[in-house]
Amino acid sequence: MARRALWRSGAAKDAVPRIAHLDRDRPLVEAAKREPARFEALYRRYLARVYSYAYYELGDHHAAEDATEATFVSALTNLQRFEERARPADGDGASTFRVWLFQIARNEIAGERRRARRRPVEPIGETVVVDPVDVEAVAVRRDEARAAWQALGRLPGERRQAMVLRFVDELSTAEIAGVLGRSEGAVRVLIHRALKSMARDLGEPKRGGGRGSAS
Amino acid sequence: MSLVRRDGGEIEALITDRYLDSLLAIQLRPSLVPDGGPLHADDSLSAAVRAVSQRLATDLPRFHPSFRFEERLALRLAEVAASMRLPVAAGAEGAVVAIRELRPLGPEQRRAGDQGDDDERDARPLLIGGAVAASALSLAGAWLAWRRRTSPMARAIRAAHSMRQTGGGA
Repeated sequence: MARRALWRSGAAKDAVPRIAHLDRDRPLVEAAKREPARFEALYRRYLARVYSYAYYELGDHHAAEDATEATFVSALTNLQRFEERARPADGDGASTFRVWLFQIARNEIAGERRRARRRPVEPIGETVVVDPVDVEAVAVRRDEARAAWQALGRLPGERRQAMVLRFVDELSTAEIAGVLGRSEGAVRVLIHRALKSMARDLGEPKRGGGRGSAS
Repeated sequence: MSLVRRDGGEIEALITDRYLDSLLAIQLRPSLVPDGGPLHADDSLSAAVRAVSQRLATDLPRFHPSFRFEERLALRLAEVAASMRLPVAAGAEGAVVAIRELRPLGPEQRRAGDQGDDDERDARPLLIGGAVAASALSLAGAWLAWRRRTSPMARAIRAAHSMRQTGGGA
């Protein structure tokens, strides 16, 4: 998940630390900009995350592979145009490499979905096929996991995307806001509502021992 | 929606967000909870939200594509990366060095030049130096060929030339 690095800015008298997003990919991105072959390190680092995002969204292995391939090829060919905006002075909307990468993935997934409308596939909640040699099926074989996955698949578009990016790809709220083009507050509300909706769907206990949890 | 209610919703969402930050951090590094006990959460956070969050954090897998797909895509990316590199032109292997502006030297500069300025001479592009050397060799070769020509006409021309230099003549 995204980490927040605490920076002390300017002189020592500036007692208020500022919070900035630290792009851990910066050295790899700079190396890949100098030498495109070095992009492979970024590819290996993010392959599973991008593929998972695509698979949760599209519910089909082949479509997810196509979207993943298009995402990485597009990222490589456009890498020179990527500008990191992750310094404190950049303020809200900071863009790290992975935010940029997931923005590309989101566009490619949307394109893949448009193409898939011409050849409809099963929704994600119906694609759980138990195959003894299928690694993914092993992961979802347990009923609870299957139910959670199906409940996720029933969420409306942006809520589902926000949940996948938060729980599967482990992006921070700020990063998800960058990917979805929403404010951080809006993303927080999206996720909170999605959790309450899934809690009802999965039959979780209605309320804890406290105030202010009305739905 | 009233302002108060909207603010309440946003506060709830903020509390949930902080809880998720902690929860997902622990998923990555279980050592953050030394006694293995339950994650402490704000009392105002709904138990239902907490429970479903914990469930999703453990139950939603991250998928990995097949090894064959991974390697095939890696190969394609390597091809794309190779095509993005500019082809190296012949003679462009060396570093490009700016040629200094040529100006006539003053007397002092000329004296300094006589004392030697090896550093500046080393900075001269090798390609230029090679071209001058090649030109000098060509001129020397042409002169030698002219001297060694053995045809009767060449001998006559050479004899006339030497007579003219010595001031003699028929």
